[in-house]
Amino acid sequence: MSLTPSKLLKIIFGIGLFVILCIGGFTYRHLNSLSKTNEVIKETYTLRSELDNIISNLKDAEVGHRGFLLTHDSLFLKPYQESKQKIENNLARLDTLILANQSQQLNLDQLEIDISKRFVIFNKSLDIADDKIILSEDILLLLHEGKIKMDRIREDIAKMLDYENKLLLESQEKNEQAIGVTPLFLYGILILTLILLLMAYAKINDDLKILKDNNEDLQVFKKLTEQAEIINNSATWIWDIVNNKFEFSDNLYRLVGEEPQSFEPTLENFFSYVHEDDREGFGQQVNLMIKKEDLPFATYRAVHKDGTVRSLRAYGKLMDTTIGEKFLLGVTTDISDDVKNFETIEERNLELVRNNKELSDFNYVASHDLQEPLRKIQTFISRLETKESENLTEKGKFYIEKIKSSSARMRMLIEDLLQYSRTSNSDSEFKKTNMNMLLEDAKQELSDSIEEKNAEIISDSLPTMEVVSFQIQQLFINLISNSLKYSRSGIAPKIEITHQEVLSKNVKVLEKSLFKYHHKFTFSDNGIGFEQAYGETIFELFNRLHGKTEYSGTGIGLAICKKIVENHHGVILAEGKPNLGASFIIFFPFLK
Amino acid sequence: MNKEYINIALADDDEDDILFFTEAFEELRIKNKVSTFKDGIELMIYLEKLEGELPDLLFLDLNMPKKSGMECLEEIKANRKFKDLIIAIYSTSSSEEDVENTFVLGANIYIKKPNNFEKLKKVLSEVVTTNWQYHTNSLNKENFLLRL
Repeated sequence: MSLTPSKLLKIIFGIGLFVILCIGGFTYRHLNSLSKTNEVIKETYTLRSELDNIISNLKDAEVGHRGFLLTHDSLFLKPYQESKQKIENNLARLDTLILANQSQQLNLDQLEIDISKRFVIFNKSLDIADDKIILSEDILLLLHEGKIKMDRIREDIAKMLDYENKLLLESQEKNEQAIGVTPLFLYGILILTLILLLMAYAKINDDLKILKDNNEDLQVFKKLTEQAEIINNSATWIWDIVNNKFEFSDNLYRLVGEEPQSFEPTLENFFSYVHEDDREGFGQQVNLMIKKEDLPFATYRAVHKDGTVRSLRAYGKLMDTTIGEKFLLGVTTDISDDVKNFETIEERNLELVRNNKELSDFNYVASHDLQEPLRKIQTFISRLETKESENLTEKGKFYIEKIKSSSARMRMLIEDLLQYSRTSNSDSEFKKTNMNMLLEDAKQELSDSIEEKNAEIISDSLPTMEVVSFQIQQLFINLISNSLKYSRSGIAPKIEITHQEVLSKNVKVLEKSLFKYHHKFTFSDNGIGFEQAYGETIFELFNRLHGKTEYSGTGIGLAICKKIVENHHGVILAEGKPNLGASFIIFFPFLK
Repeated sequence: MNKEYINIALADDDEDDILFFTEAFEELRIKNKVSTFKDGIELMIYLEKLEGELPDLLFLDLNMPKKSGMECLEEIKANRKFKDLIIAIYSTSSSEEDVENTFVLGANIYIKKPNNFEKLKKVLSEVVTTNWQYHTNSLNKENFLLRL
């Protein structure tokens, strides 16, 4: 799992916060323990002073007691009485001070017992002193005993003080121990926090810089988009589906003929610009959009306030954000020009199709229907020839011969025309065919004239290609018969057919071809040839280079060749040298 | 064929063609009887009413008024009664479409009307003397269109 920058920041801040809380907790604990120690010290001092007070009061009592014993003056008894009272107060205060400490309590109990014992001795000696003026043996004894008791009391107090001192020392030691490491610890943590905060600051600073850069990029991108929209005649919009709010780009307003942001971007407002006839369909599209949250291409017309009608096409795609919001992002394009162009092209296409159909119908019907009367003329002539020839004069027979050759020529023309119109049939099927076989078939078809002319045909091994076989066969027939027809008298025709694969870029006429390779077929003969100036016109319909009487061509054969080659996306060229021969070069594109 | 004569029917709307056809048969040395019909309807009425033997050969022009040769061919082939009838298409053109369609519909041979009387005689004698039993079995697209 990789940490995103924002996650890292959160972690750093979390650690920082935790550290600060720790510092607070530690400080509180230490201050607390300090004030506790203070309390202990204060208590100890109060205790000590109370103990001192007890000693001092006891001494006062002793002084008063001794004065009375010496003088029997009751004046001395007053401080004695007072100090007794004071000691009781002192003891009571001590008792509350050491309430929590059991061992001190025990010490205090001992002290109290000893004090009360001392006072018993005081009282005894006072009672005896009341009766006798001089110091008796008993009193002396009692005084002695009183001194011992006093020592005991001193010991008790010393013991308590010792204990208290020990307590104070312990507490102090503990305090010092605790407080001793605290500053260092706090300081360390503080430094650590500072480092973390500095790191966080650096990170935030970096992020801010990136954010700023991104923002700038975004601004540039926005400007670019705006420009692109204007140039492309397109616009963008955002539909916040959850809150049903829209955002229209400036150009969307322009597409409906308004100033940018000139009305509130709502569906209702936009709807008012949709062509009346398209509103229902557009509404359905919008409903579909809400349901499916995806918009296929919706095409509708927008009407500007000045009455201009434009064709628009909208497309929308849903974008789910991580925080549960749904946006439909849309692009609307003005396709009026495309629509217009499409309509024009469609119209032209229809016209072309119509024209083509008419032409080929006319061609076919003309050729076809012309054949019937011609056939009858020819048949009747043949009847005349066989049945009535003895009744005809020589002149009559000559005329019949003329009619015969004319009608034969007409038949040839009609048949070639028919062939030509059939060649334009574009729905012919392209099939993989072995060209050698087509050439053999063509030779078979022409076998009579080949034999008659004693012609020699040499050919390379030809490839297999995707062609309309009957057309290619016709092409071969036409080219070979062309060579046979225009042979030089007295020289047996020799036709060479070669094949090679060529790179299109190496051939001038193929430079613009989209195909990389072409098959090149060359049909060369040793016939009468032609002037190279006629290299192109030779392929035109009804174009003939020779008189009808010399050579019996119709001027359609090579036009058919050209048409067949073009049907196969190829190119045909003619090269001729008068009295040397002619070459027909054909290029057919192919994929390797 | 162990009959005295060969029974031939021709449906063609062209009087000249009928003339050539009958003359050609007259000149052939085969004994024959030719019945001619001016259109498809006339032909079909004749065939439907026929009680006796079917013609040995039916020559059918394609381009006829009222009912074309193609329609006649379809009707004949749809009727079991005429299943043995040999049908030769006899038409001015030999467009690929027509040749293909009549082949598919079940005609036995396709003849393009020759433009020479001698050739016509040759073609007709060829068709009449063909052993149709054998020819029908080996019939294919290539030998369907008669070439001489």
